[in-house]
Amino acid sequence: MSGTSSDSRPQGREPVPHGERAKAVGHIVFNLALLGIAVMMFVHAGGLPSSAWEPIGSGSFPRLMLALLALLSVLMIIKEAAKLRHTSALPSGSVGDWVWRHRLAFGVLGLFTLYAIAMPLVGFRWATLPFVLACQVLLGARRPRQLAIAAAIALFMSVGLDALFRHVFTISLPRGALL
Amino acid sequence: MMESILAGADQLFTLPTMLTMLVGVVAGVITAAIPGFTITMAIVLALPLTFTMPALQGVATLLAVYIGGYTGGMISAALLGIPGTPSALATTFDAYPMARRGEPGRALAIGIWASFFGTLISSIVLIIAAPPLAMIAVKLGAWEYFALVVFALTIVASLVGKSMLRGLLAGALGLIIATVGADPLMGVTRFSFDLRMLSAGIPFLIVLIGIFAVSQLLREVEDAEEVKAGKQLIDSRISFKPWAAMREVLTYPFNLVRSSMVGVFIGAVPGAGGSIANLLAYDQAKRGSKHPEAFGQGASEGVIASESGNSATSGGGLIPMIALGIPGSAVDAVLMAALMVHGIGVGPRLIMDHADTVYGMFMAMFLAGAMMLVVCLLSMRLFLKVTNVPKSIIVPVVLTCCMVGAFALNNRVTDIYLLLGIGVFGYLLAKLDYPLAPLVLGVILGPIAETNLRRALMTNEDWTLFFTRPISLALLTLAALSIVLALRYRLKQRRQGLALD
Repeated sequence: MSGTSSDSRPQGREPVPHGERAKAVGHIVFNLALLGIAVMMFVHAGGLPSSAWEPIGSGSFPRLMLALLALLSVLMIIKEAAKLRHTSALPSGSVGDWVWRHRLAFGVLGLFTLYAIAMPLVGFRWATLPFVLACQVLLGARRPRQLAIAAAIALFMSVGLDALFRHVFTISLPRGALL
Repeated sequence: MMESILAGADQLFTLPTMLTMLVGVVAGVITAAIPGFTITMAIVLALPLTFTMPALQGVATLLAVYIGGYTGGMISAALLGIPGTPSALATTFDAYPMARRGEPGRALAIGIWASFFGTLISSIVLIIAAPPLAMIAVKLGAWEYFALVVFALTIVASLVGKSMLRGLLAGALGLIIATVGADPLMGVTRFSFDLRMLSAGIPFLIVLIGIFAVSQLLREVEDAEEVKAGKQLIDSRISFKPWAAMREVLTYPFNLVRSSMVGVFIGAVPGAGGSIANLLAYDQAKRGSKHPEAFGQGASEGVIASESGNSATSGGGLIPMIALGIPGSAVDAVLMAALMVHGIGVGPRLIMDHADTVYGMFMAMFLAGAMMLVVCLLSMRLFLKVTNVPKSIIVPVVLTCCMVGAFALNNRVTDIYLLLGIGVFGYLLAKLDYPLAPLVLGVILGPIAETNLRRALMTNEDWTLFFTRPISLALLTLAALSIVLALRYRLKQRRQGLALD
């Protein structure tokens, strides 16, 4: 998402690269979402009970903060929208390029999501073992020696940590609802 | 008094006590170095092990875990950019950039010495000023607490990074995240939207682990070519020069003493603690520095401020506990429990009835500080080897530790989902260049601010009390000054930038 901006930009303006435009779009979308959430929570906070013992109730402090967040989000949207006016549209395929460049981060995030979902179901040991192993393979452990090290680490982090917590710290890590 | 000191020393300097203290220091350093595992967790796990020990040995061992923990949190902050404990948050700002540019040994060594001197200074203050400081600390009413939090919130101005607007927005987000769950005064559940995982609130530690650890680790694996080539987190040869670092730390005596005093005072204020002290000390160091522009780029002054500030809270926290029987933090409450298990009543008469134990505790602080120094100086080359481990191993291992830490905090499976959600949110914020520290600060300070604002107004509806009570007025004046100075600094920087253009 790097490159130069269009020649059609107004004279006297600094060229704004595509990366900046992409960030501006990202900020606008993000702040619109924040604004929506802030408004929804603000309305919800209005329904919280007040107290006979204090002048401000449960909803007052959050409402104050939510109003501040909404104001800051609006300012952010105005600021970033101004950047959009003097940049050209993103080249086609730039979003795909960005996702491809971040494939490992998204891969790890995907595995971490599966790990979080699996842990309450299959327990700490059986969720951790495949997570640690798969993550290492995804990040480049492919040769037999690397795979052996990866398996040893996965075993230590799953069975070893579980035993340490159970027997030494007397903390039971999740056992798994399905097991 | 001399008799009590000698009696305390006699109990402390025995082989079993010194051995258990040494084990405590090592355990504290290791536990706090693992992201997601906290000092409180280490102390709580160690408490049952001290039941069979004599009173002073038990407390001294827990103090050793405490002091080791404050230094341990710095290790992952410097080497991974992930604060091992909340009290090492500000350490990531400069120790990590220093490590990334090839000086991880220097970052660790400066942190260790700053921690040691911070502990030393706080122990001295503890001995000299415990009773008067405790009297000041407990005289703070809800008005003063609220004013103190407002002052602490102005630190955001120092943490915002390039954009003030983005920094303020992150701070506001933190304050709102803190309002989810039970209302601190009435107990009304807020913003849970009938979701079980939100009804108990979003624990601060989950936010810290998710925002810093998960997002930082995801950013580490963004470059596919680097990761697949087996690249380590930090490119460097292991170089650890502790004596040069000690000299460097001592070239900033004013910063060291000021940061330690901030730590002592914040530690003495019940409910505050290391998580605020490191940020406040960092902020003061930046404002007082001749080179504030170097902060955030790997400035040794930043590491010194944060580490001496957080370590000094260990002595500060003992002040109200010893003088008045009021624990300043969760860790101090566990220390109090350790004394009570042995039938020692904690309160204003503690120093009169059990002077030998109290003086023994004072000496244990010095001894634990010295042990921490020796343990860390001897073991740091080992910790530095972490920098040679490929990212493909570090990332899944640390993510697993984060998961264990998140679960073990409250033994709640729903905290695992919260960690995932906060982690994704943190990554999104980081990709959009929002500074993460103001958000964490907002989560720490939000509940304290709300509780004290409401408590103050519940006691007396008169708003002017915030400005007529002397300590409250002084703190609010400091807050206003702090904002003015921050704005002035930003304007100056902008003008310099324009002049350079």
